[in-house]
Amino acid sequence: MSRVSQRMTARTSGLRKWANFPLLLTVGFLLLYGAVIVHSATSGFGSGAAMFQRQLLGAGLGLVALCVMWVLDYRMYESWLGPLVVLNAFLIVSPLIPGLGVEAKGAQAWLEIAGVRLFQPAEPAKLITIVIMAIVISQYKGVIERPRDVARITAFLALPFGLILLQPDLGTGLVFIAITMGMLVVGGLKPKWFVLFAVIGVIAVAGVFRFGLLQQYQEDRLLVFIQPDRDPRGAGYNLEQSKIAIGSGGLTGKGLGQGTQSNLNFLPERHTDFIFSVLGEELGFVGTVLLLGLYLALLMVALEISTSSRDLYGSLVAVGLISMWTFQILQNMGMTMGLMPITGIPLPFISFGSSFMLTNLAGTGMLLSVWARRSGV
Amino acid sequence: MATFRERLKPRYATLGIIFLSVLGVLFLRAWSIQVINADRYAAAAENNRVREIAIDAPRGRILDRNGNPLVTNRATLGVTVAPGAKDDEDMLYRLSVVLEMPLDDLMERVSSTREAALKPRLVALDVPMTVVAYLAEHETEYPGVEVSVVPVREYPHGSLAAHVLGYTGEISEESLNSGEMEGYVLGDLVGKSGAEWQFESVLQGEKGYRRVEVDAVGSPRHVLEEAEPVAGRDVVLTIDLEIQQVAEEALERALVEARADDFLNARAGAAVALDVHTGEVLAMASVPTFDPTLFIGGISTRDWEALTAEDSEYPLNNRAIQAAYPPASTYKAITGMAGLEFGVTSLGHSYYCAGRWTGMGEQWSKFCWKRSGHGSIGFTRGVAESCDVVFYEIGYEFYKRDREELQEFARRFGVGSVTGIDLPGEVSGRVPDAAWKAEFNANYPEYRQWLPGDTVNMVIGQGDLLTTPLQMAAVYAGIANDGDVMRPHVLKEVLDSRGEAVRAFEPEVAFSPEVSPETLRTMHNALLAVTESGTGRSALRGFAERVAGKTGTAEVAGKDDYAWFTAYAPADDPQYAVAVVIEQGGGGGAVAGPAARKILAALLGLPVEHVQATDVSR
Repeated sequence: MSRVSQRMTARTSGLRKWANFPLLLTVGFLLLYGAVIVHSATSGFGSGAAMFQRQLLGAGLGLVALCVMWVLDYRMYESWLGPLVVLNAFLIVSPLIPGLGVEAKGAQAWLEIAGVRLFQPAEPAKLITIVIMAIVISQYKGVIERPRDVARITAFLALPFGLILLQPDLGTGLVFIAITMGMLVVGGLKPKWFVLFAVIGVIAVAGVFRFGLLQQYQEDRLLVFIQPDRDPRGAGYNLEQSKIAIGSGGLTGKGLGQGTQSNLNFLPERHTDFIFSVLGEELGFVGTVLLLGLYLALLMVALEISTSSRDLYGSLVAVGLISMWTFQILQNMGMTMGLMPITGIPLPFISFGSSFMLTNLAGTGMLLSVWARRSGV
Repeated sequence: MATFRERLKPRYATLGIIFLSVLGVLFLRAWSIQVINADRYAAAAENNRVREIAIDAPRGRILDRNGNPLVTNRATLGVTVAPGAKDDEDMLYRLSVVLEMPLDDLMERVSSTREAALKPRLVALDVPMTVVAYLAEHETEYPGVEVSVVPVREYPHGSLAAHVLGYTGEISEESLNSGEMEGYVLGDLVGKSGAEWQFESVLQGEKGYRRVEVDAVGSPRHVLEEAEPVAGRDVVLTIDLEIQQVAEEALERALVEARADDFLNARAGAAVALDVHTGEVLAMASVPTFDPTLFIGGISTRDWEALTAEDSEYPLNNRAIQAAYPPASTYKAITGMAGLEFGVTSLGHSYYCAGRWTGMGEQWSKFCWKRSGHGSIGFTRGVAESCDVVFYEIGYEFYKRDREELQEFARRFGVGSVTGIDLPGEVSGRVPDAAWKAEFNANYPEYRQWLPGDTVNMVIGQGDLLTTPLQMAAVYAGIANDGDVMRPHVLKEVLDSRGEAVRAFEPEVAFSPEVSPETLRTMHNALLAVTESGTGRSALRGFAERVAGKTGTAEVAGKDDYAWFTAYAPADDPQYAVAVVIEQGGGGGAVAGPAARKILAALLGLPVEHVQATDVSR
C-alpha cells in the first residue's frame, strides 16, 4: 500500500504526464455517442427509461473501475499468474454452478446470487485473460520459437477457451483467441507458427461442421452468412432487416428516434447486438464515419500507449486490448452488414449492457495505467 | 532496450495494418450499403413498414323487375385453415369437434385443390360467437386457424332462378393469367355463371384500400392513407319473381305428373317466358336446379361431384339456353309458314291422311302419330291436329324443289344461331342441310347424301334438327310480334348508388324474317285452332284468355318422348310467349301443356290452376 501511494505522489508532479488526454477524450466521445444511440434505441421500449438509467449507472460504475485500474500499477499483478488463472477459470465456470448461474438466450452466461442478477463473468474474464496471456507471452522476451513454448502459451489460452465453450459462448471464445493472436504478433511468435495455427483453425472449423458440434442456431447463422438470401423469413431475417435499416439510413440518416426499422421492431436486439444498425439508420453514413473515426482514434492512441510502455508486459496488455476491441468492432459491425456471421458480440462503448461497459472502461483504465508508468517518465 | 524497441516496430506495423484494414473494410461496406445501395434499402424499409390493405367493395345486388332482391350480401364470421395445416390431424380433429362438423368434411375442405395454393381454406361459415371466443382464447393450440369476417352472397329465395342468377366463386388462376380480368387479385370473388358472370363488371364495384404503418409482427400502428371502396351497382333483371316461381313449380309438378303417368325417366325440363314486343325474359326455369349457397366460400368437392355426376342430370346446366332438343311438332309453325310463303301449300289445299304415308315409295313409308289417320284434312286442321302426313307432303314438295328453302326460312327466324341473350353459354342448336350432313358424316361416305327422308323428318321437327327452348319461345314471340323476333334479354337496367337507373336495355330486333302478313295471320289462326279444338285443347280448357300455341312430342333415340308446348297470348293482342320442354315426359299436350298454361296464367294475372290434360295426341 505504501509503495503505491509513494508512486502516486511521484507522478502527481504533472497531470499531463500522468493522464493521456487523447484517450480520455476519445473514450468520452464514444460514451456520449453510445448514450445518445442507446437512448434512442430503448425509448421505444416500455421500460426504456429504466434501461437507459441502468446503462448510465453501468457507465458510472465503469468510470469508477477506470479510475481504480488507472491508479493501480499494472505491474502489480504481473506476479499473480497462478491466482489469476484460477480466478479466471472460476469466473468462466461460475454461471454453470447450480444456484449461481442463470440461463439467457441459450447460454449459462449470467451470475446470480440470492435472486439478484449480478453480471456476466465472461466480460471481466476477457481482461483477466489479457493479463494472463501478457504475463505468459512477455516471459519469452519477444522471441517465441520452440514448440514447447508455443505449447505452453496454447495451454494457457486453451483453458479459458475450453471452459467458455461449456456455457456455450463461442463468441467470447473467439475474442480470447483474437486477443492472444494480436499479442503473439507483437510478442514475437514466428510466422510459421501463425501458418500452422491458421491450418489448425481451418481443420477445426471443418471438423466442427462435419461432426455437428454446433448448436442448430449456430449452424443456421453460419449458413445464412454464406448464403444471405437462403431463408429471409427465418435465420436470414435478422441480417436482412439489419442491412435494410443501415442502408435505408442513406447518407445522413432518418434522424435520431426516427428509425422505422428500429421503432417498428423489425430490428432484433436493437439496443445490444444490433445497436450499430440503429446508428446507421438514424444517423446515416455520416454517423458511421464518425463512429469509425472515434474507433480509429481509440486504436491509434492505444497503439501509441503500447509502444510507450516501459516493459514488454505492459505493451502486451495494451496490444491485448487493441486486439479485443478490433475483433469486437469487426465482428459486431461486420455482422450487422453481412460481413461476418451473426454472434452475440456487442459493440465496444456503444452497446447496451453494464458488464460489457464496465469491462471496456476498466480496460481503458489499464491503458491509462500503462501510460502513466511509461518509460521516460 | 533500444534495439528491442526497434525489433518491435515491424510487429506494431503489422498490428496497425490489421486494425486499419478492419476499419477500412467496415468503411467500404458501409459506403456500399448506405451510399451506393441506399435507394434499394430505403425502398425495402418502406415496403416493410407500409402495408396496403384492400377493402373489398360490396358486390351489387340483383333484383327482379319489380325491385325484389334476388341476390344480396351479408357479412358473416368464417373460420379459415391454412392449407399447410392439412397434415395436422390432431389439430383438425379438435377443430372438427369445436365446429361440430364431420372430420371428413373438414379435412376435405382444408385439402381442397380447387383453390389457390397458399390461400387459407374457408371451412365454416356463420360460426357462433362462443366458438369464435373459444378459438381466440386457444389460438396457440390451433395453428393456422383464423376467424375472419367474410362477405357472402345471400339468396332470399333459395334456388329460385339459380340458372339465371348464376353463382360466384374465387377468381381462377387461369382467368387471372388470361389478362382479361384486370384489377383482380387471387382470392377475389367473381361471377362464375349466369347474370353474376354476365354483369361482373357492373356488379364488382371498385376496391378501396388502406395504407397503414405496421410493425414487425404486422400489427397496424397508424393509418397513412385511406380510400373508401365504391360499391358495385345493383342490376335489375327482367325476371318477374312471381312468374319465375310459378314456372319452376309448374316444371316440378309436370315432372311429378309425368312420372305418375309411367314416364319414370322424367327428371328434367325447362321453361321460358318472353315479352313478345321487347324480348324481356320474365321467367327462365330449368330443372333439376341447384342451391347457389353451396358455392359460398368455395364449393366442397363432394357437392361439386354431386352436381356434375353422370347420373345427376347436370343441374348446373341452364336447359333453357344450353340444351338443344328436336322441337318436334312445335316446329310445324315454321315449316307451315315456309310452305305458305313458298306456295308449297295454301289454306285451300286438301290432304288425305290414312295414318301411313308412302309418298317416297312403299319401302320408305312413314306414319302419322295418329295411326288411324285424320282422313281428308286441310292446312289449318293439319296444324291443329298436328297431322304428320300433311307436313310429310309439304316437306317432300320442298325436297323436290331442291333449294333448301326450308332451312333458309328457319334461319330467318333465328333457328340454328344463338339469340344473343345476355347470359353466358347459350348454344345455337342446328338446322341440318346437305353441306352439314356431308361434313358431319365425312368418315361415313354412305351417309353423306342428303335424302328425301332428311327433309321429311326435318319438316316435323325431328331428324337432326335441334333447337333450344329459348329459340322456340323467340320464334313464337316473333309470330306474335308481326314477324320480328326481338332479342331476348334478362337485363332491365343498372342502378346507381341512389337507386336511379343509369343504363337500361333498349329493345332490339334480333331477327327479321320478313314473312307476309297473310302467312302470319294464317299461322296465327291455325295455332289458335290448336288450343281451341286441336291437340292443345284439353291443356287450355276453360282458360280465360285465348291462346295460340302448339304441342310437340319429340322422339329421341333410346329415350322416352320429350314433351313440348309453345304458345303466345292473349291471342287477340299478343303480349307473352312461352316455351316448355319436359325431357322424357311423354306427350306435349298432356305434360308440357298444363305447365305452359300455368305460366301463361301468371303472366296474364289469371288464377294459376292445375289441369289434368287428357290428350294422348302429339
